[in-house]
Amino acid sequence: MPRTADLLGPSKERPGDNLGTVPIFAQRKWDCPPLGCRIIPDVLTGSLVAAGLLAISLLAPTEKTMGDAQRILYVHVAAAWCGLAGFLIVAASGLLYLLRRDLGWDHWAQAAAEMAWLCCGLTLITGSFWAHAAWNTWWTWEPRLAATAILWAVSSGYLIVRSGVEDPHRRARMGAVLALVAAADIPLVVMATRWFRGIHPAAPQMDPAMRLVLLLSIVGFSAFFGLLLVRRRGQLRLESLLGALEREIDG
Amino acid sequence: MAAQLWWIVHKDLVSECRTWRVWPAMLLFGLVVAFVFGVQADLPPDQRPQIAGGLLWLAIFFAGMQAVDHSCGAEREEGCWDGLMLYPIGAAAIYLAKLAVNAIALAALECLLIPAFAALADVPLMSHPGAMLLVALLGNVGICAVGTLLSGLVAGVRHGGSLLVLIVLPLVIPVVLAAAEATRLAAEGQLGPEWWRWVHLLAAFAAIFVTAGATLFDFVIRD
Repeated sequence: MPRTADLLGPSKERPGDNLGTVPIFAQRKWDCPPLGCRIIPDVLTGSLVAAGLLAISLLAPTEKTMGDAQRILYVHVAAAWCGLAGFLIVAASGLLYLLRRDLGWDHWAQAAAEMAWLCCGLTLITGSFWAHAAWNTWWTWEPRLAATAILWAVSSGYLIVRSGVEDPHRRARMGAVLALVAAADIPLVVMATRWFRGIHPAAPQMDPAMRLVLLLSIVGFSAFFGLLLVRRRGQLRLESLLGALEREIDG
Repeated sequence: MAAQLWWIVHKDLVSECRTWRVWPAMLLFGLVVAFVFGVQADLPPDQRPQIAGGLLWLAIFFAGMQAVDHSCGAEREEGCWDGLMLYPIGAAAIYLAKLAVNAIALAALECLLIPAFAALADVPLMSHPGAMLLVALLGNVGICAVGTLLSGLVAGVRHGGSLLVLIVLPLVIPVVLAAAEATRLAAEGQLGPEWWRWVHLLAAFAAIFVTAGATLFDFVIRD
């Protein structure tokens, strides 16, 4: 059974340094930062998201053929970007876990996988609304749509498998291997429109104002994604420590 | 290394031939799917290859997963895994041996199912045997490469069998889709650039997954 010290990973403190006791929480002061430090990222992220949403609603010009429905694109692309970034973080964290056996990397992987699952789902839903407005169908078996659906299914499987394994190191190992194999799907999603003929736009011509709004939306979404990722990772770390402490107390 | 690899393949094949624990169930499952399809496939002749290709590969996948799950699961259940670890051979070689055993099992399944689907669905799947053989071989390796790696991963985990299907299916969907499309085109006699594009995709996935499996299997078996 892993000790609390093992869960902390290869930090300066190692077993024998009295890490299996409650004062460990006091040793890591960044686990409980001052209120000001916690609020600043929230306010900053909230401002960026609000700026993105306002730009989508007010600044973005209305598209001639699709009308207001085209505004879905700003959310859709930003969500897809965050989803792909999340999968890359999962794969990179998994690789780092396999190399270092540090459960901290596994916490990053799980947090990123949950965020990526959410973003991938949002991409599919917004894409479906966009498809209904643009192509008059909710879904079509088009390469990029299929590849994104596959990615979402893979991330669902990843999360379900993780939830079924109790040993943290075994769970981390399974997750890491699975993430690295699943990473093979990421180039397929990115390159699907170039490799296979489909109706999904690859790099459409856009008005400069539209490009600016898209950029703002991506920045806002990325900041929100990053904030949620860091918070969830912190929560997982504390959960892991708490579980280890409970096991040690139970003997 | 080839001799050591062959001994693992030989051990698994002899073990299966003595007990017949998996292959009969696997072949029967595939045949039942073919019969059900044969009964239900009251479609116009031009639509049959498309449906038959997809169903054939789904049948191969679900039936084949029984053999794939057994390949590493049985070693764990019967306490043979530690003995296998003592064998003076690298993890990549064990992975390749298990992959070969699973590929042989799926090849046996395909030998049964392709003619069965061709006969029951009245689809000319065997009209271009060379093309069909290439698609079957690449699809087989693609599915087994992922399946074998993840079979080692879930071996010993509670409900490992059902978990295996759950995690392998999304990962091999590109392989199954590409194999189904290539099968449809082969059955329709369209062996042009489009067919080659699907074959290239199958080959790329097989190469990527075999490389990933041989590299990562060491992490899978090391507790």
